[in-house]
Amino acid sequence: MTPSVLIGAWVAAGLTLFMFSFLYKDNPFFRFGEHLYVGISMGYTIVRIYYDVMVKSLYTPVAQEGKWWFLIAALLGLLILTRFIPKISWLSRISFAVIVGFGSGVAIPRIISSNILQQVQGTLKPLLGNAGQPLLGMAQFNALLILVGVITVLVYFFFSIEHKGPIKVAARIGIYFLMINFGAGFGYTVMARMSLLIGRFDDLILFASRDFGYASLVLLGLIAFGLFLWERRSSALSDPDQDRRAAGSDPHADG
Amino acid sequence: MRELAGKLLRLDRRVIFVLIALATLIPLLRPIGLPVRISPEVRQVYDYIESLPAGSVFLLSLDFDPASKPELYPMAVALLNHAFKRDLRVIGMTLLVTGTGMAEKVVSGVASEHGKQRGRDYAFLGYSPGGANVIISMGQELATAFPTDHYGERTADLPVLQGVNSLRQVNYVISLAAGTPGVESWYVYGKEKYGFELGGGVTAVIAPGLYPFLDTGQINGLIGGLRGAAEYETLIGMKGKAVAGMDAQSATHFIIIGLILICNLFYFLTRHTTIRSFGSPQDRPGSPREAGR
Repeated sequence: MTPSVLIGAWVAAGLTLFMFSFLYKDNPFFRFGEHLYVGISMGYTIVRIYYDVMVKSLYTPVAQEGKWWFLIAALLGLLILTRFIPKISWLSRISFAVIVGFGSGVAIPRIISSNILQQVQGTLKPLLGNAGQPLLGMAQFNALLILVGVITVLVYFFFSIEHKGPIKVAARIGIYFLMINFGAGFGYTVMARMSLLIGRFDDLILFASRDFGYASLVLLGLIAFGLFLWERRSSALSDPDQDRRAAGSDPHADG
Repeated sequence: MRELAGKLLRLDRRVIFVLIALATLIPLLRPIGLPVRISPEVRQVYDYIESLPAGSVFLLSLDFDPASKPELYPMAVALLNHAFKRDLRVIGMTLLVTGTGMAEKVVSGVASEHGKQRGRDYAFLGYSPGGANVIISMGQELATAFPTDHYGERTADLPVLQGVNSLRQVNYVISLAAGTPGVESWYVYGKEKYGFELGGGVTAVIAPGLYPFLDTGQINGLIGGLRGAAEYETLIGMKGKAVAGMDAQSATHFIIIGLILICNLFYFLTRHTTIRSFGSPQDRPGSPREAGR
């Protein structure tokens, strides 16, 4: 095993345990890990953007391939930075206008087509049946269920008429569909979070092996000892205040 | 009974953390080997790759960063193994800048296990800025979106990309995504216009939102979460990290279902009474103040 892999394992195990220490309570280990994560991910992003955007997508095409029109995009990008200079901040609106105009022009027709028209088509098509398929099969039942769900949920969110009579019934059914959807979403979210936990535990188990110098176990012990010392120090610092309050000599006490 | 319910509803949350930790740790150390059932949406992805003749172009967009690694990395490993085993021409890329290093590692790592050569059998294009706009640009001309690959080689000169001028020449695209840009972006800005077949591999959090796309045929298959990855590993006969995590996943789900049932039972038992341990009606179980604790 190379030293870099070994060091990487110790760092990974340590930082994972630092973050897990928050489950006990907020503490300096967690805050150190949190700040390090923010700093490193930002540093990594800046470096990658420098090479992938500034060098690869701007400097190389302009300086080596003579594609001078790339400078127009660069200029529009720079104009956004004028937001920091109040006197000329209006210039940034030019860039925002281009972004909003281009973004809307590209997105609106595609989104309408794929997220509305094709979804409506997909909702209705199975109900019409295909040649050779039974008229009352499981697919048709599912399609009917989806259709009822779509309509009743839309009725629930239709506030222009009062929800009473049949509209109230439909809206109520819509709520049940929404609840089932939220439940399914919650179940999937639990699964996702547990998967992340399993991923970290999997690594911690690997790093607890002899090959990695029992990194997870050693660091777990050190962090637990560190938390113990931190707790003792915290309680020692807070004790004089409590003593003063108990004796009625706290300067901030009432009276 | 109500006293007990009150105590349990005010249980220190760290007890639950310990329970979950044990439920995760024990099956990882002592696997039970629960069976993995293959769902139709995962099988569809597998079947489509199986149906592609050798030399077909397979694009894997690894649109995730290390935060989603436990769920999506096993998927990437399984899909790449399958694609290389089928002798497909593999193109790797990412739409997320923070995922570049990890994506490069998994593509080149699995390729080297299969003895594949960079540039000849596979290409890793890396990251290009613009999110969904990159997809549009690739649809028009691949070399415009990625003039060079991740290693600085001109994409136009790569043998693996001969005859692949745009997304129109790609046979199958799979986006492994944890959000946006991801599967939906690939459909909206890519498949609809350029006509390639599209599959998705996503985190469990966003999987329910993609089932409408699956039902309408807008995507031809979906691998959802660690469970989906485990199903794919089972399909290709390569039991990796995802299958190993399934026992732990089941155990934690069992604990959580139990806790939800117990909490609801105790909530209904105590909702008409003030539990001694709760100071005021606002502190009853289920009240906003109690929920915020």
